[in-house]
Amino acid sequence: MDFTLPKEYELLRRMIRDFARQEIAPLAKRVDVQEEVPREVIRKAAELGMMGVPFPQEYGGMGAGELGYCILMEEIGKVCTSTATVIGAHTGIGAMAIYLDGTPEQKKKYLTPLARGEKIAAFALTEANAGSDAAAIRTRAVRDGDDFILTGSKMFITNGPIADIVSVMAVTDPSLGPRGGITAFIVEMDWKGCSVGKVEDKMGIRGSGTSELIFNEVRVPKENILGQFGAGFVTFMKTLDVGRVSLGAACLGGAQAALERSIQWAKARTQFGKAIVHNQSIQWMIANMATEIEALRSLVYRTAWMVDTGQPFTRYAAMCKLYGSEVASRCISQAVQIYGALGYSRDVEVERMFRDARIAEIFEGTNEIQRIVIASDIMRQEGVRISP
Amino acid sequence: MRIVVAIKQILDPEGITVNRRRERIFINREERIINPADKCTLEAALRLKDAHGAEVIALSLGKPAADDALREALAMGADSAVLISDKALAGMDAPTAAMVLARAIERLAPFDLVLAGQTAADTGGDQTAGRLAELLGLPQVLQALELSLDGGRLQVVRLWDGKPVRAAVSLPALVAVSPLAPPARYPHGARIMNAYRQMQVSVWTAQDLGLTPEELTPNIESRGQVFPPERELGTVVEGPPAQMAGEILSLLRMRRLI
Repeated sequence: MDFTLPKEYELLRRMIRDFARQEIAPLAKRVDVQEEVPREVIRKAAELGMMGVPFPQEYGGMGAGELGYCILMEEIGKVCTSTATVIGAHTGIGAMAIYLDGTPEQKKKYLTPLARGEKIAAFALTEANAGSDAAAIRTRAVRDGDDFILTGSKMFITNGPIADIVSVMAVTDPSLGPRGGITAFIVEMDWKGCSVGKVEDKMGIRGSGTSELIFNEVRVPKENILGQFGAGFVTFMKTLDVGRVSLGAACLGGAQAALERSIQWAKARTQFGKAIVHNQSIQWMIANMATEIEALRSLVYRTAWMVDTGQPFTRYAAMCKLYGSEVASRCISQAVQIYGALGYSRDVEVERMFRDARIAEIFEGTNEIQRIVIASDIMRQEGVRISP
Repeated sequence: MRIVVAIKQILDPEGITVNRRRERIFINREERIINPADKCTLEAALRLKDAHGAEVIALSLGKPAADDALREALAMGADSAVLISDKALAGMDAPTAAMVLARAIERLAPFDLVLAGQTAADTGGDQTAGRLAELLGLPQVLQALELSLDGGRLQVVRLWDGKPVRAAVSLPALVAVSPLAPPARYPHGARIMNAYRQMQVSVWTAQDLGLTPEELTPNIESRGQVFPPERELGTVVEGPPAQMAGEILSLLRMRRLI
């Protein structure tokens, strides 16, 4: 067993770390307050290939696979969760759906500008009455000659306000349900009938725009069917599977940053005549954080390796997301505790990190759904079928 | 235009602490990086390439690990890379290192420009560029900040007494780039992947360069390291020249130095 990172990935990590420290970290507070990741940052990241890390170079990507993408998400997750979320929704699910199930023509037309970061992607599944129960969507796509007419509205769509190209899941045959009745489409947001609805006022990741997307009789050509007709549910579930690994990596970055800040502060803060790092209570917190982070790191990078080597990884991806989001929340909460009252102040980063971390336990499949995914995969091996 | 850029791989000085009391140097984090001035040098070469088109050849003398420094140079935009690495070259002094580099640069001829970093951030060495120019018989400009091509001549903005001044030099020439020159670009991620997966680093040995054991015998023998005594903070005298001269004179007289 060899756990060393290949040399190219070491250099990639160093490049991304430098970029994150110099170009993203100084803006993180502004991103949170002004509720926007500056387009300039996205442009700079795109120029270095960071908007298409896992995609092949022939489609404008970096060609660094899931491993490279996890490195990116970890390093950016350390400095700004909003920026990580914009890149994550774009690469990890929005463009990923086209990469996984798009035709060569669709990849050339859509994936290439997305991988280069010239266009921004989003992934539209959730609706007012369908989130965890993804099969309950009501957005309809009705055949009209060679086209489909798409009508409905999607909710809580990350990158909704800035997306150019959206992977949308819609019902094409209500009688068939999730197996055969749902189809995925590639929709360009500047088409007639597409609009951005209510923009959410969120607790955290405030720099990443989350909104409603409204489709009012949008004419979608049949060339824009993504994957097999009627198999949209499969396309979307497959996409979410991969997305969970890199979300775990972003959580790893957040947890690691919380640990580093905790150590820094515990060394600097003096109470009762000595630095608080000499208190056993603080040492235990730091030891617990470091242990969980190390376990998460092993899980995330092993799962990335499984993705890159074509092994089944659904269960482990769900574990990355479930454990990652919980480790991040726990570590950041401990960091706030170590900072004391200062940790509750908007003057310090751990306060923003605390608000930013909570969403990871909810989006891209709630942690309850992740447990169902993990349990059903385990039970399937035991010959037991469980349904939510 | 062919540009040879000499780069050195060093231990990141940020990972090193110097303990004066125990007279020891501790390596906390062993990360190898391109010497900062050399990274600025690569950037200067790549800017010439962007503006006028050029072939940039990165050259390094060092241990096999210096392969990573050259791959980084390739990722940044260098066209090819050469590593001079040989057990026979271990423990060289500065004059020998410059001689070996000069021999390799001659082997890369014809070239129009040789670039090197002004100073090494690990040893504080400041000799290589000047020695190289002398060995190669090239005119030299030191402490360069910006380079541009104007007809057949190279225009250089260089530091002179802490201030930028203009200089011009005919080619071929050697220019040493200051660590204060514009910082290096980030390498593109795809180029990082390709630098390791597709591109090659040529490795030259002492034999390839026709170096004899006599030539490689160092003139300087290292007998260990000593910490210099701590110095008192100096006095900075400011003001118009006449006034400064007067103040310096009185300070010297006060200390009975004149």
